[in-house]
Amino acid sequence: MTITKWIKFATVSGAALILAACGGSNQSEEAEAQLGGNDFDQTQNVHVISREDGSGTRGAFTEITGILAKDGDKETDLTYSGATIQNNTNAVMTSVAQDIAAIGYISMDSLNDSVKAVSIDDVSPSIETIQQKEYPISRPFNLAYKGELSEAAEDFWNYIMSKEGQQIIAEEGLVQVVQQAPAYQASEGLSGTISVVGSTSVTPVMEKLAEAYQTLQPNVQIDITSNGSSAGMTAAMDGTAEIGMSSRELTEEETSQLESEAIAIDGIAVIVHKDNPVQSLTTEQVKQIFTGELDTWEGLAP
Amino acid sequence: MQYNDKLNLKKLDQDLITVNKKKKKVQKIGMENWMKGIFFMCAVFSISSIVFMIYFIFSSGIPFITEYGVARFLTGTTWAPSNTPGSYGILPMMIGSILVTGGATLIGMPIGILTAVFMAAYCPPELYKILKAAVNLMAAIPSILYGFFALQFIVPFMREVAGGTGMNMMTAMILLGLMILPTIISLSEAALRAVPRSYYEGSLALGTTHEKTVLSVMVPAAKSGIISSVILGIGRAIGETMAVVLIAGNQPIIPDSLFSGVRTLTTNIVLEMAYAQGEHKEALIATAAVLFLFILMINSLFLYVKKKRG
Repeated sequence: MTITKWIKFATVSGAALILAACGGSNQSEEAEAQLGGNDFDQTQNVHVISREDGSGTRGAFTEITGILAKDGDKETDLTYSGATIQNNTNAVMTSVAQDIAAIGYISMDSLNDSVKAVSIDDVSPSIETIQQKEYPISRPFNLAYKGELSEAAEDFWNYIMSKEGQQIIAEEGLVQVVQQAPAYQASEGLSGTISVVGSTSVTPVMEKLAEAYQTLQPNVQIDITSNGSSAGMTAAMDGTAEIGMSSRELTEEETSQLESEAIAIDGIAVIVHKDNPVQSLTTEQVKQIFTGELDTWEGLAP
Repeated sequence: MQYNDKLNLKKLDQDLITVNKKKKKVQKIGMENWMKGIFFMCAVFSISSIVFMIYFIFSSGIPFITEYGVARFLTGTTWAPSNTPGSYGILPMMIGSILVTGGATLIGMPIGILTAVFMAAYCPPELYKILKAAVNLMAAIPSILYGFFALQFIVPFMREVAGGTGMNMMTAMILLGLMILPTIISLSEAALRAVPRSYYEGSLALGTTHEKTVLSVMVPAAKSGIISSVILGIGRAIGETMAVVLIAGNQPIIPDSLFSGVRTLTTNIVLEMAYAQGEHKEALIATAAVLFLFILMINSLFLYVKKKRG
């Protein structure tokens, strides 16, 4: 009879385990509900949630906050090795929404009520603060040229700054630079080739813009080369490219030689659980949290 | 004269019959060849697709590995594609895959085999119908649903038990242990059922009990089939991706405890493939090549066990 008994035992303990698992989840929800406000346990570890390597959001976030340490040609991503990695915005938001000790970051346009965006250096993230360049974790997408633009390039530039162009920028999850842009007025009989060179971060939105523009101006060819902001500015200065793309502010040397304009702003919100009492962090604290230097919530909440 | 005519007629008849028969035979052979061609084409298609796949994976993966350095790639512990120059060491992912698969097997194997024993030797027919349908359904559920289930139940449970985010190696092991159950159960059950009835009866005739016979005669007789089922389960566990990516934490580090986050070879590829470019993309394809080697090893093991049985 031993085997029958054994099987019965296994069945019962298996069922018990499943029930315990369900019970566990309920308890954790209750625990989460009870926490929050003053009951927030500051000694608990920060659960850092990051995006995968290669993601544009991670690239922007690590660059702006200085998590990507630069030393000459060498760059080292110092993101905490114990950080949970999620490979899409929704997964980051779900993880943060379910875990009171979690912190993550998402592109500004995806922000919603399921999580709380903390203020950075006492500036709350919003379209306005980003447009006024007050919110620190943001970066402009600049285009630059030297001397004068060709007729086709100028028309393309106008298109980017038009209502239609800014619409595409918003669809790509970026913040528009002009709120009420004029509609695009198509010029007749344009043709030629525009070479656009520079930032790998600007390239995806530039490809979208070029694609839409070419349906309106089929005789204009736009060649996009993606090789980094500095290379783009150099190409614009020495004339090998007509338009340079940069995902950072231009240096003094560059501004002295080039005309530039921001076409969009990339903003990133740092998000925590809704019941997390932390309201504001400094850029330095954000950097320390995401590199693993600060590993508990102690001293971060008011 | 009359007689001769009759004979000729008869001969003519026979000739006609043979001609008709030959015609039919020719037609039949034509049809057979034609169908043979279709079967052959199908076989060529399926085999050539695997050949192309092997060619693609290794022709794109191996140049990167040799350029980056075989030892550096396989034993490097830092995976940091965002660095310039990038670091592409996949040892943490290899260890992650092996540990998670091993843990899943430890969980899934005893439960699976005992369930198979129950189904083959103890189960009342009414319950069997339900159980069999349930096991088949388990095998048919898309893996992403297992992932969501784990995210809703196992992850919060782990968060309670072990602290942290609840996304850790143990979570992945439990989930994969569940996911390999249908493979182990159905193949082990088939192996147990294939044991000749005479073994069972002979053992009973010697005066043993039903339990003793099942455990000491039937299970050993079905041993190689059961081992094959476990190996196929391992193959499924090591290849599983979509469910694991949701719940394993995905840190590219060598796990230092059961409750540390883990990244497997498969999740490494699926996490980063979307935006990967240049060297990074090549490194991911090279990861796929290593995964392919893992699968080849598991399948060879399966073939070896099967051959031993034959």
